[in-house]
Amino acid sequence: MPCYADAGAGAEMEKAATNSTGDFEDFDDDFDDEENVVEAYDPLEIFNRGMFWVNDKLYFYLLKPAARVFRIIPQPVRVSIANFFNNIETPIRLVNAAAQLKWSDAGHELERFAINTTVGIGGLFDPAKSRLRISPKIEDSGQTMGHYGVGAGPYLVIPIIGPSTLRDGIGRVADYYLHPVTYIVDDFSDIVIIEAIDVTNTLSLDKDTYEAIKKDALDPYLFIRDAYLQRRRAQVAR
Amino acid sequence: MGDNPMTSTPTRFTGQPTRMILLLLAGWLIVAHAYADQGPLNQVRSTVEAVLDNLKNKDLPKATLTDRIRSLIKERFDYHAMAQRALAVHWKKATPKIRDRFTELFSKTLESTYLGRIEAYTDERVEYVKERIKGNKSIVDTKIVTANTDIPVTYRLHRSGDKWLVYDVKIEDVSLIRNYRSTYGEIVNNEGFDGLLAKMEAKLESQANESGSN
Repeated sequence: MPCYADAGAGAEMEKAATNSTGDFEDFDDDFDDEENVVEAYDPLEIFNRGMFWVNDKLYFYLLKPAARVFRIIPQPVRVSIANFFNNIETPIRLVNAAAQLKWSDAGHELERFAINTTVGIGGLFDPAKSRLRISPKIEDSGQTMGHYGVGAGPYLVIPIIGPSTLRDGIGRVADYYLHPVTYIVDDFSDIVIIEAIDVTNTLSLDKDTYEAIKKDALDPYLFIRDAYLQRRRAQVAR
Repeated sequence: MGDNPMTSTPTRFTGQPTRMILLLLAGWLIVAHAYADQGPLNQVRSTVEAVLDNLKNKDLPKATLTDRIRSLIKERFDYHAMAQRALAVHWKKATPKIRDRFTELFSKTLESTYLGRIEAYTDERVEYVKERIKGNKSIVDTKIVTANTDIPVTYRLHRSGDKWLVYDVKIEDVSLIRNYRSTYGEIVNNEGFDGLLAKMEAKLESQANESGSN
């Protein structure tokens, strides 16, 4: 958990003029120390770049075309499918929030599941968020490990899924055993098909994020690596 | 105007011209005070809303739209501070000529990327959540509200006179400047400044070609 002590020496706080709530650690500006360039730990960069290249081809030749075909289904339906999958995955968030002793988050996930499964018709809709403003708290096994001090380990690019780390990769395996589908569906190949539908559906709702990255970034591999690691660090801290 | 010098003093200071001056003075003080009180959140809001208003105007020719948005963001973004932070350690090692060239290319990169991204704008709206101020720095939290999801966008600003200028943008917890820094750092390490500048030029050209062909 982030500590609220002011790390700067003699930093003044303007109490009168601000509407601040006291969480000033965001102000600890890592730009002040220009020497501090946190290099990503990527000892497997050569392998990762290779896998990145493979994923790039998979994206353009397999995943994106499938997503495009999927767009035949009207968008509201696809949003409902996404909601359905998110709802089913509640145990992953619930168990990991509880494991990190984040009781109010765990409680919210329980509330969301209850409301969305009933009022939200089997999870197709998300009235918990739209009406009651209870947003999901994204937690997973990788974050739980990080919460308890497990370092991320080397950066890894996984087939299809893309950016990850050693810790987060192991977390995914653990989450597989928290996913209800693993227990409901018998045949592993059926599980794969269900996952494929989830991935294709999510991609069909995406607005060309990867294309945009390729267009603007000087080095898409580096861009995605850094963005993933930054985001992950923030998620673990929350 | 009184004839008696003993009674003329009060009327001199309540005459019409004096009243006008006093009113103007009061008016100016109010305006200046109000502008000085325009916190970072309000300043960010005025820039973002102005950009959105221009985007919503379907009658604007593309060139006009581009120019207007360019000048709007130039007013709010401190390109020099961002360039310096994006190059970080390497800034110190760079000669003034390289620094200038880099700042120029980096500013163009920011503009080109920003303009490219907002082309995808349809009807999203922005919520201005809160501001935090500490000395000459501030953080403004906003949210882009789309059909399926909310995207948190956080601005970090520093004060320059009465104006607050942006020196970093975080989208979904990913700091733009930090991201550029890691990419540029690795390129400079492997290919030197020349390699970096060449790559930036090439990318700007390809971005221009792509939007030109739209």
